[in-house]
Amino acid sequence: MRGEAQSIDLKKNVIVSVFSKISLLVFYLLGFFVLIAKELKPKGRVLTLFNVITFPIIILGISLVLKHIFEGLSAGSNVSQEFPWGIFIGFNVMVGVPFAGGAYALAFVVYILNSEKYHPIIRPTILNGFLAYVFYASAIFLDLGRKWNILNPIIGNEFGVNSVLFLVAWHFLLYMIAQLIEFSPTIAEWLELKKTKKILSSMTLGACVFGIALSTLHQSGLGALFMMAKGKLHPLWYSEFIPVLFFISSIFAGLSVVIVEGTISKKVFRHRMSEEYLRNYDDIVTGLGRGAAVTLFVYFFLKLLIFIHGKSWVYINSPMGFWYLFEVLGLVLVPCLMFYYGQREKNINLIRAAACVTMLGVIINRLNYSMIAFKWYLPLSERYIPTWQEVVITLTIIFTQLWIFRWVVNRMPVYGEAKEWEKEEAKEAILLGELGFTMADGGKPYMKKEV
Amino acid sequence: MEGFTYVDIFATKGIEYIFVICFLLLFVVFAYSTFKPKHKTLTQKRSIGDLIRQWFVVPEFLYYHQGHTWVLPESEKVAKIGLDDFAQKLVGRIEALKIPKMGEEIVQGEKALRIEVGGKGIEMLAPLDGEVIDVNEEVLKDPSRLMEDPYGEGWLLRVYSPNLRSNLRNLLTGRLARRWMDVVKENLFSRMDYNLGLVLQDGGIPVSGMAKSLDPENWDEIVKEFFLTKEA
Amino acid sequence: MKRREFLKIGLSFATALSLSGILGKRAMGLEVKPTTKEFYGILVDTTRCIGCRTCELACAESHGLPAPDVEDRTVFESIRKTNDKRLTVVNRFSVDGREIYVKSQCMHCNQPACVAACLVKAMKKRQEGPVTWDENCMGCRYCMVSCPFDMPKFEYDEAFGRIMKCDMCYSRIAIGKVPACVEACPQEALTFGKRRDILNEAKRRIYTDTGRYVPYIYGEHEVGGTSYVYISSVPFEKIGFKTDVGYRPYPEFTTGFLYSVPIILVLWPAFLTGIHHLTKEHRKGE
Repeated sequence: MRGEAQSIDLKKNVIVSVFSKISLLVFYLLGFFVLIAKELKPKGRVLTLFNVITFPIIILGISLVLKHIFEGLSAGSNVSQEFPWGIFIGFNVMVGVPFAGGAYALAFVVYILNSEKYHPIIRPTILNGFLAYVFYASAIFLDLGRKWNILNPIIGNEFGVNSVLFLVAWHFLLYMIAQLIEFSPTIAEWLELKKTKKILSSMTLGACVFGIALSTLHQSGLGALFMMAKGKLHPLWYSEFIPVLFFISSIFAGLSVVIVEGTISKKVFRHRMSEEYLRNYDDIVTGLGRGAAVTLFVYFFLKLLIFIHGKSWVYINSPMGFWYLFEVLGLVLVPCLMFYYGQREKNINLIRAAACVTMLGVIINRLNYSMIAFKWYLPLSERYIPTWQEVVITLTIIFTQLWIFRWVVNRMPVYGEAKEWEKEEAKEAILLGELGFTMADGGKPYMKKEV
Repeated sequence: MEGFTYVDIFATKGIEYIFVICFLLLFVVFAYSTFKPKHKTLTQKRSIGDLIRQWFVVPEFLYYHQGHTWVLPESEKVAKIGLDDFAQKLVGRIEALKIPKMGEEIVQGEKALRIEVGGKGIEMLAPLDGEVIDVNEEVLKDPSRLMEDPYGEGWLLRVYSPNLRSNLRNLLTGRLARRWMDVVKENLFSRMDYNLGLVLQDGGIPVSGMAKSLDPENWDEIVKEFFLTKEA
Repeated sequence: MKRREFLKIGLSFATALSLSGILGKRAMGLEVKPTTKEFYGILVDTTRCIGCRTCELACAESHGLPAPDVEDRTVFESIRKTNDKRLTVVNRFSVDGREIYVKSQCMHCNQPACVAACLVKAMKKRQEGPVTWDENCMGCRYCMVSCPFDMPKFEYDEAFGRIMKCDMCYSRIAIGKVPACVEACPQEALTFGKRRDILNEAKRRIYTDTGRYVPYIYGEHEVGGTSYVYISSVPFEKIGFKTDVGYRPYPEFTTGFLYSVPIILVLWPAFLTGIHHLTKEHRKGE
């Protein structure tokens, strides 16, 4: 009898503890959802021009995406047996990824070269880079013909290590994680988790180094994808050095996007920007312009070198030849000179214009590789022209990315003031710096525990 | 590769990638241990620091002004003020104290107190704003009380401070205060060229009136520097 | 003490010897086992083809695809390409007044570009020779971009489409039969056998039947060699063959990049970490 009562008691205890654990978990989850829901309320005016234009496109795009997932690729897409890759790959991935190149270029400058000057812009750039990769990975997912097998190269069914695309896919995955780690201190600050932030900040250098190595490889990897399309790419664009060209162009593409994005953000998010940022803004833009000028200069000469190496002058006297000259002279050399004069005269508007031209140049360059110089010998009737559905979905992807960017900037300290406790930390650091105690790794000095 | 049998030119690629991953993990460990800064200079200073760590008492619960006065909040708007241990050890035997009277106003950061040692007068800054509501008569009569118990019986003033909260924000406390004291110690050492003999008795305890040991003639200038009341 | 030393050294030496014997090269995986299987191949003799398209019919039947109407001769008026519904086509070319029929399909290269491209190893080069497609495919269509002959075709109309191309009837070869098209051809324009043997047969025909053939075997060395080889009575560029694909196997175009990946993953972190610490110290003036 006693035994029975005891076992009933035991069961009751187990049930109670399990129940309380589950209810605690439910409580936390609810709290998390409430936080997100609260934060979903829009800040600022709802009926802005941007919202009015982008919102219906996003809604339309989402419905098209759903339709696209459940029907075949031919419904609403013009990819064909001749042109297997359309704008989802040719534009969203091929253009979007070099545009996100600012993240690793600036990470190099700020975290590796320890430049304090560009520190204020590193956070929005990494945020942009992270969002870009997330959305362009989803573009790849949309483009797949057998979508649900997307996990195969990740789980090992099978690991096609012979493939450049395998490398690119894995690097995308790993780089997104690295960028998330680089950006997570900002999130920790927003959620006021000091200890978490300290842990995450210590991982920044590692994530950075890893991220730069990964970026080098997948930016050039996107170019290496075309190495086997030898007969299909016009000889003016095809060469053994495509990966190098893609890597270098991703640097100035990224810098240009940072400049343009900074211009727009300055107007739209001014209320979130710190005094320090606004003061140094022009200086930063000039510096970026300088970097872009040099990279474009190097790229131009690389293109010239490859031109000579491939004896490509025989191809110049043709429509594609003129198009090539336009791309290299008009969209590489010209912005290079614009950047050069802009940074010399400290003419911010000229630098901005140069950034826009550079972005256009990168778009055209990548579209050349994927669509225009690709099977250039086919007549227009057999060429790939994107359908309106593909265009809408592309725009949806871009707009959704901007919406999420705006959501984050309006809530998290991306451009903004350091919080109170960060200021105290800074005060401490200054005080201790004055006495010259060796700083362990630039952080807190090593001190024995006080008695 | 004569073209009649299968040759896999990517055979080792899988192993290569795994190898690279192992390398990266090992590299993190290796680089971390290689680039950890060597605390040479710190150790040097630390040994001295160890010696004198016990010298200057810095109680946890007090708030300190960088001019070496302390504040003990007693309620929302009332606080006690005194001189800290470092101050009294620096100046040595205090002969007289001139402190504000009841009802007088003091302003944070402005000169408020005056101590007289060896015929010289040193001024000190007030650590907060307010009106003096109580004065420690005992200490005025017998300043040695201050030397014995600078934080307890040796208190100087009780002040009614409506801005107490915001005043406290400008003061140091806890960890920060201890670190500030380390700064002060460092400052002291740099002046004596690490020659401890000047300031230590045989037992290793600081001589009362360290400032005099450093510079018999102009010790008051040194003291004023520490108390932030040196004339520009 | 000397004896002990001697024993110690001797024992360790013996251990080392035996270990190297046990953990030989094979255990370390450094020895590559030679394969005993040789590639099969198909010789296409374009001088014997009459354009009856029975091969197309047999192919469609054995793969469950819609059967073409082989009676309809109007299809020859334009050059057809394979697609997701027809894995092989016969085209007609008029050269010097003669009509020449050419069967075209996947070439089953020795070093296939599609196999090098596939990131899930859905495209496999079998030891017997055929290049086959597998169900773990993601539908990324990178193989289509890479193939020098543009042979893989995707079923865009399906929600879960497949890549369709000739598979040299791999399932039939596995049970000892010949591919459907070879069996069906009434003119013996198609010859199935070991690649070594059909190349010899092709050479035999060229040398013995003087004047009938152009002295060149298409596919013997193209892109590193293919399993489908062709002989013809007229130059190959006149009958729709790509003669500019080169002799270098296509996967070798990517090896330059792929082989540099581990190097960069090793060097970049080292350089970057070093530069980080050098510039940091420089700024603090140490």
